[in-house]
Amino acid sequence: MATITGNLNERPARARRGYSSLHRLGELAIESLIRLCGWSAILFVFGIFFFVFREGAPMLFGGLDLVKFFTSTDWNPVSKTPSYGILGLLAGTASVTVLSMALAVPLGLGAAVFVSEFCSPKIKEALKIAIEMLAAIPSIVWGFIAYMMLNPLIIWVTGAPVGLNVLNASIILALMSVPVIVSVGEDALKAVPDSYREAALALGASRWEIVYRVLFPAAKNGLLAAVLLGIGRAIGETMAVLMATGNANQIPTSPLDRVQTLTATIAAELGEAVQGDDHYRVLFVIGILLFVIAFVVNLSADLIVRGIRGKQNA
Amino acid sequence: MPETAMRGNGSKHFRYFVAAKPNGSTGDGTPEHPSRSIREAIEDIRVRHAGDSPSVQRLNGYDRIDICSVFKGPTTSDTKQRYEFFVDPLGASDLAIGSAQLPWPDLESALEGVAKMDAEGAIPLGPGEHLSLSVREVFSATPVDRRKRRHERIAQVVLGLVTLTLVVPLVAILGHLVYKAWPVLTPSFLFENPRNQMTAGGVWAPLIGTFYLVFISLLVASPIGVLAGVYLNEYARDNWFTRVVNLAVVNLAGVPSIVHALFGVGAFVMFANMGESVLAASCTLAIMTLPVIITSTREALASVPMNFREACWNMGASRWQTIRTIVLPNSINGILTGVILQVSRAAGETAPILFTGAALYMTIPTKGLRSFFPYSLQDGCMALSYHLHVMMTQVKGASPEAIEAGKSLPLEHLQYGTAIVLIGLVLTVNSFSIGLRMYLRSRKKW
Repeated sequence: MATITGNLNERPARARRGYSSLHRLGELAIESLIRLCGWSAILFVFGIFFFVFREGAPMLFGGLDLVKFFTSTDWNPVSKTPSYGILGLLAGTASVTVLSMALAVPLGLGAAVFVSEFCSPKIKEALKIAIEMLAAIPSIVWGFIAYMMLNPLIIWVTGAPVGLNVLNASIILALMSVPVIVSVGEDALKAVPDSYREAALALGASRWEIVYRVLFPAAKNGLLAAVLLGIGRAIGETMAVLMATGNANQIPTSPLDRVQTLTATIAAELGEAVQGDDHYRVLFVIGILLFVIAFVVNLSADLIVRGIRGKQNA
Repeated sequence: MPETAMRGNGSKHFRYFVAAKPNGSTGDGTPEHPSRSIREAIEDIRVRHAGDSPSVQRLNGYDRIDICSVFKGPTTSDTKQRYEFFVDPLGASDLAIGSAQLPWPDLESALEGVAKMDAEGAIPLGPGEHLSLSVREVFSATPVDRRKRRHERIAQVVLGLVTLTLVVPLVAILGHLVYKAWPVLTPSFLFENPRNQMTAGGVWAPLIGTFYLVFISLLVASPIGVLAGVYLNEYARDNWFTRVVNLAVVNLAGVPSIVHALFGVGAFVMFANMGESVLAASCTLAIMTLPVIITSTREALASVPMNFREACWNMGASRWQTIRTIVLPNSINGILTGVILQVSRAAGETAPILFTGAALYMTIPTKGLRSFFPYSLQDGCMALSYHLHVMMTQVKGASPEAIEAGKSLPLEHLQYGTAIVLIGLVLTVNSFSIGLRMYLRSRKKW
């Protein structure tokens, strides 16, 4: 009569015959490699911060007046007495982001609701492909579109002397961030249990009532995360806004004003900056700032989404 | 003018008032000026609600008319129901008497019936009492239903239009680009180098450069990305550390591309001493596009049912053996879609390669085998996306004479040509990914 000895949870592979220690070693090696790759994402995020910080730190901790950095609009890095004030650039980024979100959020959430709740499976498939295509257009091509198509269009419609301005960049950014909002928003709506919809239907609600009385409250965190990710996309976009904003460092007073954003400044000036000098390092300080903004936006989006997951599990 | 009220379900409720003690002048049916008799009230109702004139206020399902008997003057209009009659278009019967079981088929016959009963003195109304005439339409939509349906249609149309405003620009942009680029869309545009200070020729050098960047970044990113996806789906436990890893992946995807460029400059160009080279640019692109591969690998692995793994473990296979022989073969196509997506992302990015290895202008062989391997990994290369940037910002158009002489092409043609090659490349690669995914879904066995 055989008795079971040892721990049942022990991996059976160890007891098998013909399974040499070489195999085991190989397996150990590949598992360590997998773990290492899994952890690499953390490594890379830290690496990005570290290397950007390393280049920017000498300026950040010596020579840069942080108060002036954030409150002055005087960005003049190449003069004899250089001044580094990014308020104008911040205002540029903020104005473009806000206006683009004002366009993209209704469009994106509306499209997410339509795709998720209102259309037939075939149309849904087609729309998702179209939105994926929209997401796939490279940012430099968006910049090209802003420059060659939207620019004359805006001049023609508004009569402004130049069509490269906040409005132009906002439209382009809205079209660029809408796919993010649609796909994340649709996921959020899909995550609402069908029993909610069924309960509402049983009470006689129409589909639209289900959407705004049941789905919106139930999925509001996910939808908020979608908007946040859209904002992240808009703030971080570089090449398209470099082409579309007209690049004039000023605080805009109307959508037809030209502006310059943080990202575009780096892209436009890093090539000319002498490696290691103050101008070069200040651009890296802006990079640190962008990294931190992106980190905060993504972190809050993640926390919000995880918040709902946690509640649903409980 | 009688009182009209909307009821909770959206139906209308009309009240006609009749004086309990008629004295002289007749009124118009309001509580202040009641009609003199039920007969007069019925005449009013017939004029306002029956017949064919266009001003008639038709009664719909659930609407109700009350004939209320009141004392003249501003008395309270609350009255008690004494008689209840019904109209039901579906319940028509020859024996209709207005009861719940035998309702009148329409308002005209109902009014006739009520008038007859009134003439016979069968329905005396005391002060503070009313008789009601309800239109029953049990199986048709209530006004609230109708309103709901209208709102729903409006919502559908509005949301559909919103969605359409996303598709229209896509079509317009692609159409415009193709239309404008049509004159230069010839094979020679693809297979020639830019010439004459980039005022003539094609996009061969940038095209090959883009292939270089994409291929090398793929070599770097796909093993790391796939293994990271395997780790997250197969090895990682549900604990805080995995959350941190996930967060890192999300953040890696969210870091602005220009910050990736700064990272590339700091880490690869300077720290790793690669200089501005194909290698540095590819590594930057690889890290930037890593999250695409990680996410899609994880999704592909997660779609393999758990029983597959359990069955394999029960056969005595170890974790890695299970992954190698069961999980990966069953998800390889899904992983592939992610890899293809990475290719399309890497091909289109400009900012990360701006300062890490994109060259303004290079001439490469266009004939023979060398034309496919022209770049050295230690040097920079041209790239389509950067080339488009340069064409827009730094190239001056050729003089009209040069264009006339056939030595140069109009700048606009070259710009649109470059843009269409880039977007064509990206969308083609992307379509492969989409096509593969749809094919997989149609063939899915579990």
